[in-house]
Amino acid sequence: MLAEPKLKTLKQLAETLTKEELIWVNGYLAGLMTQGSTEPLEQVMSSISKISILFGTDTGNSKKLATGFATTAKRKGITVKLSGLDQYRLSDLQKEEYLIVIISTHGEGEPPAAAKKFYDHIHQNTFSLDKLNYGVLALGDTAYPLFCKAGEDVDARLQTLGAKRIIALQKCDTDYEADANQWFENILISLQAGVVPKHIQPIAQRKPGIKKNYTGTVLTKINLNGKGSAKETYHLEIAAEELAYQPGDSIGIVPENPQEIVEAITALVNIDPSKKLLHKEVEISVLDLLKKKLNIVYLPERVVKKYAAIVQQEIPVTRIDLLNLLKIYPVKDIAQFEEVVTILEPITPRLYSISSSLKTHEGEVHITVARNCFTINDEKYHGLCSNYLAFLNENSTFEFYVHKNSQFKIPAAEKDIIMIGPGTGIAPFRAFIEERDATGASGKSWLFFGDQHFETDFLYQTEIQSYLQTGSLTRANVAFSRDQREKVYVQHKMLAQAEEFYRWLEAGAYVYVCGAKEPMSADVEKALLQIIMNTGNKTQEQAEDYLNQLKEEGRYEKDVY
Amino acid sequence: MLPTAICLLPTLKLYSKISIVQNLSPIEKVKRESDGLRGSVRESLTDEVTGAIREDDQAVIKFHGMYQQDDRDQREERAEKKLDRLYSFMIRLRLPGGFLTPAQWIATDEIAGENSTGIIKITTRQTIQLHGLIKSKIKPTIQAFNKAKLDSIATCGDINRNVVCSSHPLQSPIHDQVFAYADKISEMLMPKTRAYYEIWLDEEKIADKKEEEDPLYQDRYLPRKFKIAIAIPPNNDVDVFANDIGLIAVIENNKLLGFNFAIGGGLSATHGSKETYPRLASLIGFVAGEEKTLKAIYETLTIQRDFGNRSDRKLARLKYTLDKYGVAWFKEELEKRIGFKFETARPYSFTDRKDFYGWHKSFQGLWYYTVFIENGRVLDDKTIKLRSALLEVAKTGKANFRFTCNQNLILSDIQEADKVVVQTILKNYKLTQHTEGASSIRKNSMACVALNTCPLALAEGQRYLPSLISKIEPLLAKNNLQEEDIIIRMTGCPNGCARPYVAEIGLVGTAYGRYNLHVGGDHQGERLNKLFKENLDEVAILQELDILFSGFKSNRKAGERFGDFVFRLQEN
Ligand code: SRM
Ligand SMILES: Cc1cc2nc3c(=O)[nH]c(=O)nc-3n(C[C@H](O)[C@H](O)[C@H](O)COP(=O)(O)OP(=O)(O)OC[C@H]3O[C@@H](n4cnc5c(N)ncnc54)[C@H](O)[C@@H]3O)c2cc1C
Ligand SMILES: Cc1cc2nc3c(=O)[nH]c(=O)nc-3n(C[C@H](O)[C@H](O)[C@H](O)COP(=O)(O)O)c2cc1C
Ligand code: SF4
Repeated sequence: MLAEPKLKTLKQLAETLTKEELIWVNGYLAGLMTQGSTEPLEQVMSSISKISILFGTDTGNSKKLATGFATTAKRKGITVKLSGLDQYRLSDLQKEEYLIVIISTHGEGEPPAAAKKFYDHIHQNTFSLDKLNYGVLALGDTAYPLFCKAGEDVDARLQTLGAKRIIALQKCDTDYEADANQWFENILISLQAGVVPKHIQPIAQRKPGIKKNYTGTVLTKINLNGKGSAKETYHLEIAAEELAYQPGDSIGIVPENPQEIVEAITALVNIDPSKKLLHKEVEISVLDLLKKKLNIVYLPERVVKKYAAIVQQEIPVTRIDLLNLLKIYPVKDIAQFEEVVTILEPITPRLYSISSSLKTHEGEVHITVARNCFTINDEKYHGLCSNYLAFLNENSTFEFYVHKNSQFKIPAAEKDIIMIGPGTGIAPFRAFIEERDATGASGKSWLFFGDQHFETDFLYQTEIQSYLQTGSLTRANVAFSRDQREKVYVQHKMLAQAEEFYRWLEAGAYVYVCGAKEPMSADVEKALLQIIMNTGNKTQEQAEDYLNQLKEEGRYEKDVY
Repeated sequence: MLPTAICLLPTLKLYSKISIVQNLSPIEKVKRESDGLRGSVRESLTDEVTGAIREDDQAVIKFHGMYQQDDRDQREERAEKKLDRLYSFMIRLRLPGGFLTPAQWIATDEIAGENSTGIIKITTRQTIQLHGLIKSKIKPTIQAFNKAKLDSIATCGDINRNVVCSSHPLQSPIHDQVFAYADKISEMLMPKTRAYYEIWLDEEKIADKKEEEDPLYQDRYLPRKFKIAIAIPPNNDVDVFANDIGLIAVIENNKLLGFNFAIGGGLSATHGSKETYPRLASLIGFVAGEEKTLKAIYETLTIQRDFGNRSDRKLARLKYTLDKYGVAWFKEELEKRIGFKFETARPYSFTDRKDFYGWHKSFQGLWYYTVFIENGRVLDDKTIKLRSALLEVAKTGKANFRFTCNQNLILSDIQEADKVVVQTILKNYKLTQHTEGASSIRKNSMACVALNTCPLALAEGQRYLPSLISKIEPLLAKNNLQEEDIIIRMTGCPNGCARPYVAEIGLVGTAYGRYNLHVGGDHQGERLNKLFKENLDEVAILQELDILFSGFKSNRKAGERFGDFVFRLQEN
């Protein structure tokens, strides 16, 4: 490929180089390739032999990548310190020299709960990190408006604090493997060569890969709550082709906006709903765009600000529906409305824990959806996606994808499991139990469930009863908060069984918590600590260590929202 | 001559250990192995994932006055929702003679509101039931009742049930004396086990099981339920002949001489089974004095204990034992056990089975107001606030509460001076209007619980009869019979809980919306009615009644009652 004179020069040079120098050149060339830049790289030191890899994860993807990368690096002779951001001693940060951060984004562009302490620490304090060289790998999902926001923030902040970026921020979509591995390879090369690029340019964004999307057909929809319940929880059985998932995963659904709201908008601005607009390089009708693609309810403040700029009116910065904005602060004409359309963000996907096992329900995925309900000025409203699902008819179809959770997984068959899942938190555990029932797993299992009323809100009651009868479920305790004067929750049931609970822990049981983050998962954690302290005769600190140990062993997993 | 059975008595006992044991009905085993009616009730109560209790315990708790039930209306829907049946418990109080102090009524009202459906149901046996108690509410309910000095011991199960007694003190100066018998009989026939107190009232376990040895019930109790009633003629409001033992007070010159003693009444039948039938009690003689009376009652139970059928529960009531061995044999055996002979039955006469609605004054000068409570359901609804009204009366502390076997309530023992207070409350809540305004036929009606709680119901009972009566009323009016006292009773199945077989018009459920029509019972409860037409729907019921009413109007003899008229027709 190279013309003879060039090749000759290269060969001549190569012959004179030591092994170390060769590696350096290798890194130099790799840098050239990935960054498309001919800027010279700066040599930092001969070779780097020690790095820290920190991960901030919610559903385990970042951890999986971090662990994999750590293994590879170790094999290459590099000493690696691997830690979750939640376990990381923040005071160590200023002592670090080479740091790789792998962090995902959750909520609305927020860092994962486990990374919050670290995230706040670097953002709320000012200190110098001029000894630090770093790289950030961000995990996210392009379906969200704030793609990889947490990673971006960390990357930018470390630089502000004086650290040197040794490799450009890499943002990964949900099919992150290929991008991440390429990035790791590049780092390894650079590290071994002991170089960092002098001027950094971002790695060219790879064209987003095709995410696996499924078309689901609703086979069955049942409101699991009995007559008189304050709640509506829908059990949906959905069929799809070539389904692949594991218990513990969830599915992501992009809900549609209600037709009547979309129609009210098009009527208000007097735009032809069938008019085609260009959206992400594809032609689509205004109706479909507003119904299926763009978020038009409860707009984030940043969108409201942009709207104010377009219509050139003073609008208080608050969350508001597009329809109301248009009514109160009308657009001038259709053209201005079309401009507004361009600032709207995509409808964010909602996740629902999978409540079935493929081993029991081939070709099906089940979910357990609580119809979200909130009141504003005494008027009752419903959440977009859960309401959309609540009104789906049998045989109707919708799109979804599988969101893999690499941490919230059933352990080996002989391990005991404790599942704490009040409300819709029961969902993954129905999948766990089904899976273990189908495989005849020998480990014991213990379920804690809770809701408002025994009579009407005991989700999957008859299934749980029969699993108890057949032994696929060893024990079950249920807490119904409103059946008596004093509130009783799952954590109270745990405490009432403290001795047995601790015995299970000591015997190596895995603990899973799913459902509401606040206050449930926090209260459950407090109860856990109390059980460890009181029954295990430990101080607060020892109990915390015990729990951390469980976390490290993957024996305390949460999937809370 | 003695039946062979009696000559072989010792052998028979031995036999029962060897061969008969094999055919014992499953319930017999449960009773015997229940450790004095304890079973595994405690464990059942702590099982969080079900509102039910274990099957054997369901039999055990009946002896503690409770039935496990489920909302039959919701069965299918709940199964689809993956929800278990909506189990709950019905609790029935032991109220010999059907009496509550105002404080006890207040307690009951509170408990009903707190733990049950909120409806207080007055039964056809002069007590009250609460429905819809979920498992976790049983214990608090019993404890709260206990605080009010009330219990539910032995109101269900194979044991003597609530003892009923003519309810209106107006009836006779000796009412108090007779009424006291109800309590004494009930006490005498209570089981000796402390299980009730241990399980529900957290009493400490007894150390020595000998303390609760039970010479009457032993460990097998009776083969079947057992019912006792006391009537004060001329009113047969208790339907004395529908009971296993019926005592008819014999009074001379305002003195209680003793009781005519009748045995073997019982009403239940099973559709399509000739072996089962309603039967009125047979009068076997007169007995005087408390000691003898109690003894005769006690030993009637021991005979039934020893000879009653323990393999087929359908044939286990005293009436079948009696018909199997013969009344004469039974009387002899009883006289042997009690050690004295019955005197010949004294003359008596029943004229009615009525409740004395409205205000009445007793010979002592105390006032009584009988409130009409349709099918015994005390609740607040759109039309009338019975529960609130009665609670308010109770809160004045001026009236006792008595229940009648016609499912009504008597505000009783009210001082002359307090009458106006009670009357004002009754007026304000329109209870007087409600009672006085109800038609004769409605006031003479009864229906059993049936759907949605009774597991045995084939058709509606109390939920349906009121609307059917609204359609019968015009038929009566058309024939100018609206003032006629005609006793009409409906049950959702042939078990006969509202005693339809001794009504002038009896409607016995056969399937949803279908009833057998029985007619020809007398007004005072001394004659069973007869099956007239089978499996009628509403239209057919109304048609048949219309024909009977117009026939009655045209062809009745002077003063002839509807039941007697139809009976005369049937006889011809
Ligand atoms: C509440 C009441 C009817 C009412 O609306 O008032 C009633 C209600 C029931 N009766 Fe009764 N019986 C009631 C008076 C009667 C009577 C009338 C009487 O005793 O004067 C009879 C007919 C007389 C007799 O016993 O022969 C009666 C004959 C039955 C029978 C048939 C017994 C038999 O000999 O076969 C059953 C079924 C059984 O025992 O197997 C039964 C069973 C039942 C049960 C407990 C159903 C069950 O076994 O699960 C019903 C509960 C329904 C509910 O949800 O409350 N009930 N039952 C009465 C309560 C009386 C009490 O306070 O103790
Ligand atoms: C990993 C994971 C697993 C999950 N698993 C399950 C599951 O198994 N089952 C389940 O039911 N849920 C589950 N969820 C929650 C689910 O994803 C959704 O968050 C939930 O269904 C609510 O979505 P929604 O579109 O119905 O409500 P949204 O429309 O998103 O509304 C949510 C909330 O936002 C506020 N809001 C919205 N619009 C307005 C407005 N106009 N004005 C004021 N306030 C407003 C309200 O407080 C409302 O309650 C899970 C979430 C996660 C992250
Ligand atoms: C509740 C939730 C909210 C999310 N919000 C965002 C977001 O705002 N922006 C984004 O880029 N990705 C978002 N994601 C996608 C995740 O970052 C992505 O799935 C990532 O692979 C998760 O990595 P982890 O398992 O290490 O936490 C969200 C995921 C979930 C479950
Ligand atoms: S008569 Fe039949 S339906 Fe009515 S309460 Fe009695 S057992 Fe139930």
